[in-house]
Amino acid sequence: MAQISEAMVRDAVAEILRKMGDGGSAPAASSPAGEQSYSTSDMELRETGEAKPGTSRDEVIIAIAPAFGDQLKRRTIIGVPHAAVLREIMAGIEEEGMKARLIRVWHTSDVAFVGKRGAELSGSGVSVAIQSRGTCLIHQKDLSPLQNLELFPQAPVITLETYRNIGRNAARYAKGDSPEPVAQLNDQMARPKYQAIAAVFHIRETEFMDKSRRPVDLEVRFK
Amino acid sequence: MTRIVAGIDVGNSTTEVALAEIGRTAMDTRFLSTSRVSTTGIKGTLSNLPGILYALKEAVEQAGVSLNDLSLALLNEATPVIGDIAMETITETIITESTMIGHNPNSPGGLGIGVGHTVHIQDLVSANRGEAVITVIPKSFDFEVSASIITQAIENGVNVQGGIVQSDDGNLIANRLPRPIPLVDEVSGIEQVPMNMLAAVEVADRGQVIRQLSNPYGLATLFSLTPEETSMVIPIAKALIGLRSAVVIRTPEGDVKTRRIPAGTLKLLGVQQSITVELDGGADAIMQGRSDVGELVDVEGEPGTNVGGMVERVRCTMADVTGKSTSDVKIRDILAVDCLVPQHVSGGMAKEFSMENAVGLAAMVSTDRLLMQQLAQALTQEIGVDVELGGVEADNAVVGTLTTPGISTPLAILDLGAGSTDAALLAKDHSVRSMHLAGAGDMVTMLIQRELGIEGDGAFDVAEQIKKYPLAKVESLFHIRNEDNTVQFFPQPLDPRLFGRVALVTENGLSPIDTRHNIDRIREVRREAKRRVFLRNAIRALEEVAPLGNLRNIDFVAVVGGSGMDFELSEMMVRKLAEFGTVVGTANIRGSLGPVNAVATGLLLNYQRRIEEGRV
Repeated sequence: MAQISEAMVRDAVAEILRKMGDGGSAPAASSPAGEQSYSTSDMELRETGEAKPGTSRDEVIIAIAPAFGDQLKRRTIIGVPHAAVLREIMAGIEEEGMKARLIRVWHTSDVAFVGKRGAELSGSGVSVAIQSRGTCLIHQKDLSPLQNLELFPQAPVITLETYRNIGRNAARYAKGDSPEPVAQLNDQMARPKYQAIAAVFHIRETEFMDKSRRPVDLEVRFK
Repeated sequence: MTRIVAGIDVGNSTTEVALAEIGRTAMDTRFLSTSRVSTTGIKGTLSNLPGILYALKEAVEQAGVSLNDLSLALLNEATPVIGDIAMETITETIITESTMIGHNPNSPGGLGIGVGHTVHIQDLVSANRGEAVITVIPKSFDFEVSASIITQAIENGVNVQGGIVQSDDGNLIANRLPRPIPLVDEVSGIEQVPMNMLAAVEVADRGQVIRQLSNPYGLATLFSLTPEETSMVIPIAKALIGLRSAVVIRTPEGDVKTRRIPAGTLKLLGVQQSITVELDGGADAIMQGRSDVGELVDVEGEPGTNVGGMVERVRCTMADVTGKSTSDVKIRDILAVDCLVPQHVSGGMAKEFSMENAVGLAAMVSTDRLLMQQLAQALTQEIGVDVELGGVEADNAVVGTLTTPGISTPLAILDLGAGSTDAALLAKDHSVRSMHLAGAGDMVTMLIQRELGIEGDGAFDVAEQIKKYPLAKVESLFHIRNEDNTVQFFPQPLDPRLFGRVALVTENGLSPIDTRHNIDRIREVRREAKRRVFLRNAIRALEEVAPLGNLRNIDFVAVVGGSGMDFELSEMMVRKLAEFGTVVGTANIRGSLGPVNAVATGLLLNYQRRIEEGRV
């Protein structure tokens, strides 16, 4: 493989920052989410107090990372509105007859730990965790933080349909079913194409982290 | 003077070796070691050689000697039979003109039954007031949009009775409506639903099944059918039995048929007579024909039909491995088993499956001694030790089995292998009668695979595993529920990949299986397959060898062979044969080896006897 010079890295980062300035949706050209318009493109999140461990067995927690939704860009790495993503995950859970509960985790931006905390608070012990860039996983309370039930590491190839299925599978795990893991696209080019921007996304998200704050319950209103 | 001798038994699935120091008398004889490896290639062919060598090496290593110390190897004159299996469906459900959608989406919405004309959701608001309608919702309509359109239509006075939904949105829409209506979702081929036709939608509550649409008179009531028309809807009702949700649409020419595929006929050529049976008649008719015909010389399938193809395939495989021409391959026994296999409904709109009748067929072909001699010669060249064919397999198996503590004559042994079921009877005067029948372990595996609809690469291996191991459901990361409902806890969390899964309890821990079936269904299929192949064949084989054909004349039955190690088979066998007052159990060769190594041990003991009798 060709050596990557420092100048090239600088160019790449400059390019990324410029594109982010454009609204963050520029690299979406070839992505599956493509040039789509979204019926739901925004939402309002309202904190309703500290998140307590759930007691009902039919709830699945969706734990969002510190900057998800209304803090940073409101869109994922490929420009899908966070509101649309959240709505699909919630719909997947509801379709299975379970209840979705939304919390925000403040003390970490690592999707694994966000998921672990969510699972611990979830009445069913199952949670879906999601970061601003769209990286996502399904967690269970008995697992160690870095384990998971299903992991969706390539945010650029996750479509809204996949998010729906992620919600659906999380609900099925919570019911004690054994769902087939959600089918995922795999794009070898996603890594070289998005690695730098993904890193920037994560760094930005981490800036919103507040180690002293405990997870909070959220109320969502889609617009 | 003692010599080290190896007994080698090549079976359909395993090659077993016993090593012993043989002296002048039985007192000087000492067993050194045993080994058991997978057979390479089809039994009785030259491709077995690598497996034999591997098994021999393992045995000599265990015994702490080398191959050069061997003075003789005894090769079992393998039961000159090999088996093959095939399966064909004999019925097929075909929907013409899209009249029904009967499928089990995971989560249909709403509850109840609705009847009305089909109307596209975009035309719903303009529908006539008071008209009973069933709305058709394609994927492009979001659940919230659909729900608000339906709500508005209901407020306008349209009598919305139910819906047919393309995406998995049934519950989402139902939850947003002022009153519950039945919604069948995940109907992938929704564009085929005809508009403005009378349709009925039924969704049952969780844990319930639909009642009205699976009842011919229910359909007649909903669609005001005449008695003649009612008799036409029986296939529809039948196809919908046991589902949680369904749609039936009445179109002018619509029709659902259970078509019987012309499966062809099977001609059983016996010594005395020939019988022709229709494959359509199912396994019972075939097996009745099989027992009527007596000793079988060959089997022919009707050319150009499913069964013709099946029989030819078996013949070609056998011709390939034996090097004979296809016309010289004679099928000496068949075992037919009925089963229900899931098949896609052709013409279905929601990728429906229906359970179709199929017949599985196992065939057994005689090979000849020549092949075994070739194998023996090849082995001699390979290891530089004399190789002899050591007598008929059944004789050896009986002698080996007699080393089981507590056993006596007259003794029947049942060798449930992978390819064939063999029975031998040792009478009080030490004469041996033996019998080989088609169908054994591989047939069970095929039935499991097909009935559970396991597909893709390695499907046969998955089915093989299901056959071998008991099931458990992983209920949390710290406990599992076994198939007998006992709960087992673990101090350490299990692998996350096991969470919520149905798993097999193997000696290497839990192994998850990818399946949509629940534990009860898998267990039922597994046990039923064993019952239909192993038990049926066991009875069939024992009746053949039993004095006067009566099982009551056999006092002791010992099960040997790989299938003897099956975790539930011996229990099933005991329960069945107890009816005849027969002692049946799994053999324990030399008091320590369990049901395996009977033939290899028998080879050595027979050799020992020949020395004593001065015949060597």
